[in-house]
Amino acid sequence: MSEERETRLLMISPNSMLTPDQLVRSIHAMNKEVKVKETCYGCLVEGRRDIVKEVLCQVRKKYTNEVFSKRRAYPAGDPRRCRAQHGTRPGYCQLEAEWALLSNVQYGLECADRGETVEQTPVKGPFSVRDFKRICEE
Amino acid sequence: MKVFIDPPNSLVLFDIVERFGHEPLSAMAAIQEKIDNLEIDMPPMNMTLDDVVRGLKYAGVEVPSGIRGRLAMWGPMIEEADAAIIMDDAPYSFGCVGCERSNEMLKYLIKKRNIPILHVVYPSDEEDAKNFVISAKEFLEGLSK
Repeated sequence: MSEERETRLLMISPNSMLTPDQLVRSIHAMNKEVKVKETCYGCLVEGRRDIVKEVLCQVRKKYTNEVFSKRRAYPAGDPRRCRAQHGTRPGYCQLEAEWALLSNVQYGLECADRGETVEQTPVKGPFSVRDFKRICEE
Repeated sequence: MKVFIDPPNSLVLFDIVERFGHEPLSAMAAIQEKIDNLEIDMPPMNMTLDDVVRGLKYAGVEVPSGIRGRLAMWGPMIEEADAAIIMDDAPYSFGCVGCERSNEMLKYLIKKRNIPILHVVYPSDEEDAKNFVISAKEFLEGLSK
């Protein structure tokens, strides 16, 4: 069954002007056999693995660096996780922490698209004993 | 190629690996296996006896059960991995919360596999994020060659 069902979590970057509602509508407009659930951070997409992959491909094409995604283990609306049924939400703190990073990552992806390269930062070596002694004596 | 991500539940790492054409090995996939096939009450909190035995392969019996339980889930993924991306200097609450010993053990197991590893810095500002994304892109594109 794992090979068949895939639940995807799509999260919108805080820098994007896209809303969860617009994202859900655009997925519905693709007319694919998937279940879509709107959430505060984006949406959940559930369906057969190949169809979900197609949806994800189209979303990435349309909103290149604005929408991020990962798999979700539990199905959408599972009573063990769904807030509507008082489920626990242990992954929510992690999602919140990553949501805060997404605008930076979006910037990074845009730089990568422009073909920018990594600036080599000087590697800090171990602090020498001589320098440490000098500072202590001062 | 299969790329193990650390923290194994990270959205950012999962997305980046997939975006650049590889298969991320994540905690979510391992948990989904248990949800769909075993119908355990609430994985990963609940586990089977087999998981506990599997954990012994990666951590001794004297190691706290929490670490062994985590490694029972992550260990097989590390064995399967062709490469790994590790995020360093992340805040304590980032990732599968709370157990530094599990994280250290995880890094040790990855290192022991002798696979290509990329260490990236937690992207706390734009400059770090730029370096993170570009170095991950170069690493992942290099894997395909």
